[in-house]
Amino acid sequence: MEESYLTPEVKALIGMEGEPETCWEPVERSEIRRFAQAIMDDDPSYWNDAYARNSKYGGIVAPPLFPLFGLRRPPGTPDPLRDAATDPDFDGFAGLLRTGLPPVPLPQLPRLLNGGSEVEFYQLPRVGDRITARAQYLDIYEKSGRSGTMVFIVIETRYVNQDDDLLLVSRVTLIRR
Amino acid sequence: MPTEARKQRFYEDVEVGQAITPLVKGPMTTSHVMRWSAAIENWHRIHYDRPYAVEHDRLPDVLVAGSWKQQALVQLLKDWLGEGGWLWKIRYQFRGMDPVGATLTCWGRVTHTYISDGLGFVECDIGMRNQDGEETTPGTAVGVLPLRDGRPVPYPFVPPRKE
Repeated sequence: MEESYLTPEVKALIGMEGEPETCWEPVERSEIRRFAQAIMDDDPSYWNDAYARNSKYGGIVAPPLFPLFGLRRPPGTPDPLRDAATDPDFDGFAGLLRTGLPPVPLPQLPRLLNGGSEVEFYQLPRVGDRITARAQYLDIYEKSGRSGTMVFIVIETRYVNQDDDLLLVSRVTLIRR
Repeated sequence: MPTEARKQRFYEDVEVGQAITPLVKGPMTTSHVMRWSAAIENWHRIHYDRPYAVEHDRLPDVLVAGSWKQQALVQLLKDWLGEGGWLWKIRYQFRGMDPVGATLTCWGRVTHTYISDGLGFVECDIGMRNQDGEETTPGTAVGVLPLRDGRPVPYPFVPPRKE
């Protein structure tokens, strides 16, 4: 029988809520423009003031999934590229996932894959919004397959604005293998 | 934005089996993927550093990011539901990788419709096929449409009362 990766330390994380993480900057116009251009969506709600003002949004808004990417690295924190020149295994991914949650201790499973998501939308972020994310380990489970055992980590995150209005709820499944 | 998104679709216009108007993105080049990485400040090397992707991670090439692919699925539904509609829920799995060079077609099909709380709900199967017809990002979604003589879909969205 294969050994389970779900040690008591790992299981203890299920249900744990992280510290709320607030975006360093309020949502900016140019950030929305660059995001919309990168996803190649010319929706005028993302850039045309007059159009957006007369829409149900009342002003320029960000694309629906924008909050998932709002937690940029604050100034004064360690540079995730610091090891890029010296570490041949440097993957550039370090420090990207700011969840406010402690890491899941799975040293034998170094590879991290994004398995997919489930998202519920309530409101789009507006220019000037200050987004806060509250994450929780919703579930951690393992499955055995052809390529060995994989651990699935489901993180539920609630994104709110400065008035505590709910923008969206995401449930991201991360796979460690 | 397609003109279609501005002409409001109503619940009565939709039936089970109906196809969502497809959305095609690509061909996706390393430049497109790099632009996305820069926009979200994601420095994962498999999305811009070909030698790393191929020699270190043994991938066929730089990969189109899943974080980008999900945006296209959201756009597919948002544009089809129109401004008077609302994309309430979406889920998708990243089942297959799409290296650069991919042309990705987002598709959807209505699987179930119902009225609740004076609003029309449309459940769909969705996904993304590459130029070889392979499905890499299957999922489901729930959209909300107004009834022709009904109330507007509330914004911010308020889910129907549980019955």
